[in-house]
Amino acid sequence: MISVGIDSGSATTKAVLVNDGHTTAQFVLPTAFDFLSAAVMAYKNVLACSGVEEKDVSGVYSTGYGRNSIKFANKAISEITAQAMGVYHQYPDVNGIIDIGGQDSKVISVNSGRVTDFLMNDKCAAGTGKFLEYTARALEVPIEEFGLLALVSKTPASITSMCTVFAETEAISLRARGFTKEDIAAGLIESVARRVAVMVRQIGLKQNVAFVGGVAKNSGIKAALEKELNLSLYVPPEPQITGALGAALYGIK
Amino acid sequence: MKRFRSLDYIKNSYNARISQIAEEKKAGTKIVGTFCLFVPDEIIFAAGADRIILCGGKNDTISIAEEYLPRNICPLVKSSFGSIINNGCSGVKSCSHFGMVDLVVAENTCDSKKKMYELLEDYVPTCVIDLPQRPDSPEALNYFLAELHKFRDAMEQLTGSKVTVDQLKKEIKSLNETRKLFHRLYDLRKMDPPPINGLDVLKILQKQYFLSPGELKKSLHMLICEVEQVNADRELVAREPVNREHRPRIMVSGCPMAGGNTKVPEIIESKGGVIVAEESCTGTRSFWDLVDEGKDPMLALAERYIKIPCSCMSPNDRRIDTILELAREFNIDGVVYYTLQFCHGYNIEKYKVQQALKKEGIPLLAIETDYGDSDVEQIGLRVDAFMEMLS
Repeated sequence: MISVGIDSGSATTKAVLVNDGHTTAQFVLPTAFDFLSAAVMAYKNVLACSGVEEKDVSGVYSTGYGRNSIKFANKAISEITAQAMGVYHQYPDVNGIIDIGGQDSKVISVNSGRVTDFLMNDKCAAGTGKFLEYTARALEVPIEEFGLLALVSKTPASITSMCTVFAETEAISLRARGFTKEDIAAGLIESVARRVAVMVRQIGLKQNVAFVGGVAKNSGIKAALEKELNLSLYVPPEPQITGALGAALYGIK
Repeated sequence: MKRFRSLDYIKNSYNARISQIAEEKKAGTKIVGTFCLFVPDEIIFAAGADRIILCGGKNDTISIAEEYLPRNICPLVKSSFGSIINNGCSGVKSCSHFGMVDLVVAENTCDSKKKMYELLEDYVPTCVIDLPQRPDSPEALNYFLAELHKFRDAMEQLTGSKVTVDQLKKEIKSLNETRKLFHRLYDLRKMDPPPINGLDVLKILQKQYFLSPGELKKSLHMLICEVEQVNADRELVAREPVNREHRPRIMVSGCPMAGGNTKVPEIIESKGGVIVAEESCTGTRSFWDLVDEGKDPMLALAERYIKIPCSCMSPNDRRIDTILELAREFNIDGVVYYTLQFCHGYNIEKYKVQQALKKEGIPLLAIETDYGDSDVEQIGLRVDAFMEMLS
């Protein structure tokens, strides 16, 4: 049985093709303006990468912010359910998930792949990928190097603003006061980790916690979260595609 | 779900009510505006006045209020204030009833309302009932009773007619009848699946302090009759079992949903849930307890009204108990804890409610929102995930 999951996120669109319970292909591209065309593109590419013909696909399942715009999908499911299924598939003992994406962060409590509770922050950019993108820009550091840079710091600067715009201002003033880029980067990353850690404690996650979403690729954030929560996090090899994987698995189930 | 004709009747009742009030005003009847369940309607009607609610649920008038009030207070307070003081300069129209009141009868509940009433006095005569906030102490009851006496005097002064014991007893009996009708309607919602959607019930709940008591009773009778018909029809077809998908049974608990504000219930029911109870001022809090008809009427009123489990009360264990009771009685699958932004009372109480529900194994989804549409997608995602979790 062949099933395709499409995660239509605010920043990137991800497609995963699952054949008999195994991932055979995946594709990630920027969402840009049009959710639907990005999804069509991701779908075509994931078919091409796996050498599967469209007629052999038994179902397409969408998730993510643009899930309801993907009209060719058989069903749309929330990314919370999708993440739980995708992560559970890779870590059967998982009890909790931290998902930091482009425009929101989520903390999910899971039991045998089923969601039992969740919290979301999407009212502002604090604690999201956007926060990191903006502040990295203020430091003139490419986003890919931002986490590594932070890891070097021994004395992180203290950032108190949660607001993205004000944190950018704060970072600039710290620069003017002579702080190193490394220390400011570490301070910014700690502020995101603190913010997310509050949600983790509210939900009550204690062990077997996975960290997914595009931001999980950032090793600096992972380290800061682990320090803040005093636990070691599972990070799947492809943390960005667990939502799409979960959607595909939902189809099989 | 069936379309109820009585709800069209209720929906179209606005203009008729406005003309009725205009006629009454011409004939010299005084019109009182209220905001809150703590103000006993019985006293208003016994004094020969009529009453309309002034709680605002519209987003448009908030910007008018923000010229006077800080941004970071709840949208209900801002919307109401904006609707009342609106002079039309900004091109926004308030609903006509906001301009028709002779006296506002306010109450000291939350800080935002209290301070807003101080500003309101400059625009319309305002009488404030002070409310003790430790509801179970005997001193509180005596104090509240004294406040109600002052309120009765103010009403007598406004209308020029005496509030007699007989008149009070008559009004108590009449409003108890309305409360019993609401109980009958809610009893019907206990069935699975319920014969009426939450959004439909909300239409009548939002009008209950707008319509005259007579019109409200008539509307309730009509609606109950139609809903009972749905049940009867169902029993007839029940011989052929239909495979109905179970819609998660939701209780909305928290802040009031004033007329014009249906955002969250709409999302819940469009995502496959069905609202079967509202622990809310637009819900059970308004009608659950009756007034004791055997006691001295003023004392009976004080006793009944002081027990309303509003989050301005402290401690407010009565609310937690009520929520747990309702959850059992209505066989709730999940609670949507609905709060307005900056409503500190209900927002803070969420923690205790959540803990109590957790013990009972009932999931809770918290939604904090305002009257704008900017967060519809985000709320939709949470509700989607919550429904998936419950089914």
